[in-house]
Amino acid sequence: MYRRLITNRATTTATRALSGSSAKMAAAKTTTKKKSSPALFEQLSPAQKAYLDRVVRVDQAGELGADYIYRGQIYVLSQKHPHLRPILDHMWKQEVHHRATFNNLQLKHRTRPSLITPLWKLGATVMGVGPALLSSEAAMACTEAVETVIGNHYNEQLRCLSNQFDMSKTDGTTDQPPEIKKLTDTIKEFRDQELEHLDTAIRNDSHLAVPYKLLTEGIKSVCKVAIWTAERV
Amino acid sequence: MSRLAAQKLVQRRLLAPSLNCTRAYHPIAKDYVAPVTIAPLTYTTDSLQSKLLDHCLAHNVPKYGFKESAISESIKELGFSPSLISVLGASNSPSFVHSSPAVLELIKYHLVTKRHALTKDIPQENIDHNNGLPSLEELLIKRLQMDIPVGGQLTDLFAQLSVPSQYLMETALPELFNLADDMIYFSSERDHFDMAWYTKRLGVAFTYATSKLFMSQDTSPNFEKTMEFAHDKLHNVMKLGDYYNNAEEFAWYTLMVSVNLVKSQLARK
Repeated sequence: MYRRLITNRATTTATRALSGSSAKMAAAKTTTKKKSSPALFEQLSPAQKAYLDRVVRVDQAGELGADYIYRGQIYVLSQKHPHLRPILDHMWKQEVHHRATFNNLQLKHRTRPSLITPLWKLGATVMGVGPALLSSEAAMACTEAVETVIGNHYNEQLRCLSNQFDMSKTDGTTDQPPEIKKLTDTIKEFRDQELEHLDTAIRNDSHLAVPYKLLTEGIKSVCKVAIWTAERV
Repeated sequence: MSRLAAQKLVQRRLLAPSLNCTRAYHPIAKDYVAPVTIAPLTYTTDSLQSKLLDHCLAHNVPKYGFKESAISESIKELGFSPSLISVLGASNSPSFVHSSPAVLELIKYHLVTKRHALTKDIPQENIDHNNGLPSLEELLIKRLQMDIPVGGQLTDLFAQLSVPSQYLMETALPELFNLADDMIYFSSERDHFDMAWYTKRLGVAFTYATSKLFMSQDTSPNFEKTMEFAHDKLHNVMKLGDYYNNAEEFAWYTLMVSVNLVKSQLARK
């Protein structure tokens, strides 16, 4: 009936339609109105904002580190072990994508980057080049250790995002804001890719690295300290 | 019903004002209930305090300066209760080095509302730094021009702002940072995700503060000399950034060349 009104039929039918379905039309009007202004979320609390600020900063710094680690490994290993080149390249490209994603998030949400970014660059390069100079297995052990810590850290973030961000809306329901959902999806995807790198490293003989325990445990603790610092500074 | 719920949410936000002055994460504004206050201020734009301080800034500060007498004059003219002056300063702790908490609130209100007014006409969503935004210099000049009415009182303002105190750490410096951050974010200036993020904000804040200092001593008609000074200063600061980038690029190039030279010498053997 509403459509008939729009298509300009005879005026009599039109007026009849108008009087007959005024209630229906009013209903249609309210639904369109609702569509244009959906229920809004309550403002994020300062604590929630501070947490998101941390998440963006530490993930950005972490992906920057990963980028430089793989760069260092490629620089050292591509000559001596050409068969590792495509594997490393594949992982490196994924890390570059991760880093670009978090760089964009940082600019979009106006958080600050880590104050000691130059130190992260230097440290990550050393962490990439150092073990790679020892042997290709040591480099893989390094990858294994780093990706283990990063995978756990991403899981912790996902846990917090799913626990702490149920916001009430103006229509009385509670839900997660779209940006939180999007961030969760991004982190999930990246975590899966990092864990893929972990498997790749194990398949490429990371367990055969010579001081295996020393290397992996050492690198793991360095990564944990770095995460703790990047969240804060 | 949804309006009622919205009001409730807003009230709850008002009762628990943010203690954190620095603005960390900026959520996507269109998904949330619009805040009724402007970030560090704890009262709405149509509150008694805002009305009084607006009136004071527009009419009495140019005459009397950033002083308690300007506020009491406004209270008299608007016919408010004289006790309002102690309500005004409630969010600032009293200190020996400042004249009165109410004056501190007046200054804070001045800084915050002017900063807000600077970018309020720019659409806040889908910022595209490549088109449709004013240049950094335009924003800087616009902000300086906003202070022309109170141009004669800037020495006073500087004296209050620069005293080492809690107020300096909690209001003056964060506001300076927020202003620089806003100017960069809402201008066509390229933003960064490394140390340049900090240096650019530092440079803009420095330019703004020195231009303002110049303005406080400026006697040229309509502060033309100040605008000229700000233009030159900003240009110089940005050039400094270019120098740094070029130096870094050259250093990296030299490093790579030397590494490759060593490699080629080793390969010859």
